[in-house]
Amino acid sequence: MLELEGVDAGYKDLQVLWGVSLRVGEGELVALVGPNGAGKTTTLRIISGLLKPTAGSVRFLGRPLDKEPAHRIVEMGIAQVPEGGRVFTGMSVQENLELGAFTGRARKEKEQTMKWVYQLFPRLEERKGQRAGTLSGGERQMLAIGRALMAKPRLLLLDEPSFGLAPILVEQMFEMIAEINRQGVAVLLVEQNVRAALELAQRAYVIENGRIVGEGSGDALLSFESVRSAYLG
Amino acid sequence: MSTTMVAQSLASGILVGALYGLAAVGLSLVFGVTKILNVSHGELLMLGGYTSFWLFTLMGVDPFAGIPLSMFALVIIGLIVYQLLFSRLIKLPTEDKIRTSLLVGFGLGLVLQNVALRLWTADNRGITPSYAGAALTILGVRLPYVRVASLVIAFVFLVALQLFLQKTYTGKAIRATAQDWEAATLMGINVYRVYLLSFVLGTALAGAAGTLVAVGYSVEPVMGLHWTLKALIVLVMGGIGSIAGTLVGGLILGVTESAAAVWISGNYRHVVGLVIFILVLLVRPQGLFGAKEG
Amino acid sequence: MTAKKGISLALLAVGVVVLLLIPRLGVSDSLLNLLILMFIYTMLATSWNILGGYTGQINLGHAAFFGLGTLAARMLYTAGRPLPLALLVAGIVPAVFSMLIGVPAFRLRLRGDYFTIGTLALSQILYITVGNVLPKITYLPMADIQNYQILPRYYIILALTLFTIGAAYALVKSRLGLGLVAVRENEDAAESLGVNAFAHKLLALAVSAFLGGLAGGAYAYYQASYYFNYTFSPPWSLEPVNMAFIGGVGTIHGPIIGAVFFVLLKEWLVLKVGEYHLIIFGVLFILVVLFLPGGLVEAWERIRRVIVRRTRAKVTVSPACARDNGLPGN
Repeated sequence: MLELEGVDAGYKDLQVLWGVSLRVGEGELVALVGPNGAGKTTTLRIISGLLKPTAGSVRFLGRPLDKEPAHRIVEMGIAQVPEGGRVFTGMSVQENLELGAFTGRARKEKEQTMKWVYQLFPRLEERKGQRAGTLSGGERQMLAIGRALMAKPRLLLLDEPSFGLAPILVEQMFEMIAEINRQGVAVLLVEQNVRAALELAQRAYVIENGRIVGEGSGDALLSFESVRSAYLG
Repeated sequence: MSTTMVAQSLASGILVGALYGLAAVGLSLVFGVTKILNVSHGELLMLGGYTSFWLFTLMGVDPFAGIPLSMFALVIIGLIVYQLLFSRLIKLPTEDKIRTSLLVGFGLGLVLQNVALRLWTADNRGITPSYAGAALTILGVRLPYVRVASLVIAFVFLVALQLFLQKTYTGKAIRATAQDWEAATLMGINVYRVYLLSFVLGTALAGAAGTLVAVGYSVEPVMGLHWTLKALIVLVMGGIGSIAGTLVGGLILGVTESAAAVWISGNYRHVVGLVIFILVLLVRPQGLFGAKEG
Repeated sequence: MTAKKGISLALLAVGVVVLLLIPRLGVSDSLLNLLILMFIYTMLATSWNILGGYTGQINLGHAAFFGLGTLAARMLYTAGRPLPLALLVAGIVPAVFSMLIGVPAFRLRLRGDYFTIGTLALSQILYITVGNVLPKITYLPMADIQNYQILPRYYIILALTLFTIGAAYALVKSRLGLGLVAVRENEDAAESLGVNAFAHKLLALAVSAFLGGLAGGAYAYYQASYYFNYTFSPPWSLEPVNMAFIGGVGTIHGPIIGAVFFVLLKEWLVLKVGEYHLIIFGVLFILVVLFLPGGLVEAWERIRRVIVRRTRAKVTVSPACARDNGLPGN
């Protein structure tokens, strides 16, 4: 469904990604793991169009993405949950969700999708009138995911959804992600919590210094010696 | 000093203050959303005033009925100015964008002012429909109808803008972009469209404000800096992104000026606001321009 | 590089000698007046550039400094005080006054735009207030007017101009100047290297205000009559910014070139198109800000580089080498 081929990318004089290739199949849950600064977030920004590659290609459902502006990519079915959630703190929970369904297709099905999101995250429904800025860290993260789902994406990009959450919430968060995936949404998960991510994912990529250095099923990578020693202690 | 005199000056302050609010709200909207600080806002307001003046003088169009026309004219001018100049800055980092936009606005103000000077001379002009002199007198306080009507219209504009931003999808997209343009992009919002829209909305509001100034007071080519400063003062007092704050800031400024005119001297009417402005900038800058970014 | 420096110095020396000799050549007073105007504008643009160009703090109210300088100098001079004292005070008053906005704005590390708008407001406050307190025309002392001597004014203002340029040069080439540029490029990084950003910005502001005031002093000594608040009016804020940008902001020669260009073009345009020249200057300014942020200096640099590359290529030096040599030294 999503294919990156030999993508180079960077900021100004600093090249961050070097020939990154990866693939996410229909309905798959794929993890992208690696140390801080390896290029995980940059990869997601390339897919969502916030950053354009300097070389290589990005294709989604067979269509090239590298020339599409970021807002069009959302409409094509890719939603990104940015690092830290970045909810609109000055707006209510419900307004945040409404904005998630901004694009034409999603807007028509807004009411239904919102019901679904509230089912997934009943906590959000309880707080729907509240300003997002007053939510706890975990609730904000839920709202950010819920907001992304409002776009009715075929592929969900998650950037560190467990960051800053209490351990018990992390577990819930991962269950939630598995649930969303079971309902048919493909997921590309970027995580620092490598063990949890690899246990959850069907397949995973390891990225280091902007290059993909390992690929395999989650279980396989879990037992892979270098991954074990580098990330799992 | 008589009570009536005090009441009269208070009333005048409120009447002009509503226009300060309306003049500021356009500038505030543009700055809040696009981070373009357009110091030629006053000159755009001036163009709005002249549009109404000429519509009235040449074609007899009633100034109040002509408000949509002067707003339309300013939409066109706003589009041109944005596409030609400010859109080139839109992708700069915030600090650079503010600084460069200040310079561009500064130059644009100079150009517009001198174009107006050449086209329409330096004369001070007012719109004088048949009802211009009529006034309502309550307990000795004289309230000219046109200024009262301007107050009402300014208020209606502010409420309408508030509703638009709060209730419509487009309004929400504007607020989202103002808060975090990258997150807004990830919602599928074309933020560049939002920037253009906000800018043009801001100039349209300047057009409306210009008409009300022309009918209640007068217009001249050099008025731009004066009104830009009023708008900036109100902006600093009321805070970015708060329409209610802008209105209150405008009213406070109008009343303070009137008070200064009564108790100090009419000559210092326009100094008081500037002094307050400097003090506010220096004493509590955090609550003013910046708000939160990112 | 030393050769380049030598050429610059030689050019400078020739320029100064020419300027010193011009009055001896029996030229008309109107040419001398034009040159004096260039001198004053050079002082204005150079003084503005110290803050605006080297620290990146945009001052849209330079008229406040210029105006205070004229006011102080005029008051003292017409009261019969010696000219040197009047000129000194013309610099000191705005320098002290500038601390009023500089200390709070820079100490709180306000964003640049607060400072910018603050200066705009301050200059307006002074413009209105001076107009209220002194709503009349000021004249040079009777003795000066009846026997108006242009030559001493020419030489004194030339000296002040050279002093201003020299002061700017000395400041910029000193350790302090490096600190200024570091603060402009990245304040946090500069601080981490031990540069006190607050002190640097404040110093630049004080020097800029002092020299701006000195320009005012020159004007007060030169101009026979004007309204007291005229020198506080918005054009005196606008023009230094305009000249510095058109010439090339953040360089020593940029504002000088800008001032000369500005005065000449203005003279020419006034003859050609009358009052439309302000529109043309506004457009030119916008174009420079948007498309040529280095001004005429940058334009010349670009042209020179192209020429150098072309000629070098003809002499069959390898292109890479030609490019290296074509880059400005330093």
